[in-house]
Amino acid sequence: MFEESKVAFFLAKRSIVRGNKGTLSLTILIIGMVFVNLIFLPSIITGVAVLFNQQSIDYSYGNLVIEPKKNQVYINSVSELQKKLERIPGITGVSTRYVTSATIVYKGNVVTPALYAIKPGDEQSVLKIGTKVSSGSYLADGDTGHIVLGYRLAGNEDEKLDVISSLGGVDVGKVVDVTFNNGVTRQYRIKGIVTSNSYSVDSNAFITKKEYEDVFGLEDRANQILVRTRETGKENEMRNTLLSYGFQEKIWTWQEKSANFLNQIIGSFNIINLIGTAVSLVIAIVVIFIVIFINTVYRRKQIGILKAIGIDRSIIIKSYLFQALFIFAIGTIMGCAFLLMILQLLAANPIVFPGGPVAPVVDPALILRSTMSLLVVSLIAGYVPAWITTREDILTAIRG
Amino acid sequence: MIIGRDLTRIYGMGAVQVRALNGVSVKIQKGEFVGIMGPSGSGKSTLLHMFGLLDRPTSGSILIDGSDVGTLDERARTQFRLRRLGYVFQDYALVPELTAKENVYLPSMTRGMTAQECTLACSDILTLVGLGDRIHHLPGQMSGGEQQRVAIARALVNRPTLLLADEPCANLDSQNSRIILDLFQRLNRDLHQTIVMVSHEEWHKRYFDRIISMKDGVIEKEERRSEGGKPAPSP
Ligand SMILES: Nc1ncnc2c1ncn2[C@@H]1O[C@H](COP(=O)(O)OP(=O)(O)OP(=O)(O)O)[C@@H](O)[C@H]1O
Ligand SMILES: [Mg+2]
Repeated sequence: MFEESKVAFFLAKRSIVRGNKGTLSLTILIIGMVFVNLIFLPSIITGVAVLFNQQSIDYSYGNLVIEPKKNQVYINSVSELQKKLERIPGITGVSTRYVTSATIVYKGNVVTPALYAIKPGDEQSVLKIGTKVSSGSYLADGDTGHIVLGYRLAGNEDEKLDVISSLGGVDVGKVVDVTFNNGVTRQYRIKGIVTSNSYSVDSNAFITKKEYEDVFGLEDRANQILVRTRETGKENEMRNTLLSYGFQEKIWTWQEKSANFLNQIIGSFNIINLIGTAVSLVIAIVVIFIVIFINTVYRRKQIGILKAIGIDRSIIIKSYLFQALFIFAIGTIMGCAFLLMILQLLAANPIVFPGGPVAPVVDPALILRSTMSLLVVSLIAGYVPAWITTREDILTAIRG
Repeated sequence: MIIGRDLTRIYGMGAVQVRALNGVSVKIQKGEFVGIMGPSGSGKSTLLHMFGLLDRPTSGSILIDGSDVGTLDERARTQFRLRRLGYVFQDYALVPELTAKENVYLPSMTRGMTAQECTLACSDILTLVGLGDRIHHLPGQMSGGEQQRVAIARALVNRPTLLLADEPCANLDSQNSRIILDLFQRLNRDLHQTIVMVSHEEWHKRYFDRIISMKDGVIEKEERRSEGGKPAPSP
């Protein structure tokens, strides 16, 4: 067995070293490209997913979202709850807020965005919206009579530039009319505009919780509590911890909250990706198959002679397997080199998605999976043609 | 000793049958240098293929050193070819990517000899065939005569019981043919190598101990040349 492999390796090595370099290099190049293709698109998709996930956490939900018990509109005694939450190890920020909608009017432009009523200090311990103020400034604790708008909501004077229906290009310092869903209308001065690249933030409006409670006559309540944890990815454990502390409110993880949106995007991406992967692997198998097949057919006679002088068929098949392995190995290494180059290029000039620049995320498991599938494909594509050609009767092969 | 008993080989089992061998019985003694001659299509190559285990007879049996090679399976026949037989083809049939030395090395390596043993055996045998200085050349860089000598070295490297050669000189000029035949004669006389060689050149006859003449798939006649009466080859 080992002897056989030794002879097969010897034959393969000589054949590679002294054989046709042109075909070999081209084959290796194709395998390298296939490898890049197997890794690149999924890495971008993962990059997008990571970006969207991070945005969900940083701008929309934090890690956990607590909402009122069934059939209740508000969570009561939220300051007590908040204190309780803040004492739980692993929780780094808690923001109690009201999420509602309101009608905002400015110079005849009417919009109905979501309105978040927040405690700015607490909110900043969970979300990063406060760091994305593009003009003016963010809300401060105790602010009343002020509103912060997302830049899409503020809009542009030229309507064509707007992505959503907007207030037609309001600036910091202008005053807008806000009608709450209890019918109360108040005037607010625009304190700041936020540009976060997160769709939900940039299309909505923010006032302080204090202001909201004043309008509605509420106290120490909220309809949403956002929780930031030290570690991302342990949301389920943290939820169990909260349950064990006796929380009876509904607790969502950010994944659950953003699932539909992201899953749809990733789902369609994955279909595209699956097709791409299948096509790549088929290309790889066909190319290696053809190269080995032509090689063996061209050497039909030589294969017959080798068998005639006592070289077992399995040795000959193995020697072609080694050649296929060589193509695979060098191709993969080359593919890695290409990939590194592309990644460096992208690091310098990132692709900007709505939501921010996307860094491709190369998952080691993906590399392993791609390498393995290429390996399997190469072995099959080397084995089958060698098996077919070496099956031929010695004399038929020698006669040519 | 090689014994072929009542060998037939029929091609085309349909309407048109070709009886390439039609009942051939033959014995080859150890140390003999046998020539198989006869007109084209008489079955010379077919007979040699039987001895070389490259083909199976339609009926009849072959014993080589007492073992009935007809009973062996493919893998065992391959092993038998590797260890017991040496085959020289008309067109040299070397592996083009291997140097002379590597071509010769291949069967001994396959046999499981150590690198050292292989190298030793190779240089011995290449020196024996007169190619000591060309061992690192690729087949493409050698003349036909040289390539054929490499092929002979390859056939000999595992010290085969039987060396078979099917018109080894057919592609060579008379000078190179003579080198090959002299080499065969030397191997036969000095190493007692049993050789069966197919030829249809009249002048080759003087090298053979015995000549088997074939015609239409049967042995037409056998001539034995006595050891003393054998004429020395003229240079
Ligand atoms: N594969 C085959 N199929 C059908 N007939 C064959 C086959 N191989 C050989 N024959 C026939 O068998 C007969 C003997 O062939 P063989 O090759 O043994 O002749 P030969 O004596 O070696 O001739 P040459 O001197 O031309 O080499 C010929 O009639 C040939 O046509
Ligand atoms: Mg012939």
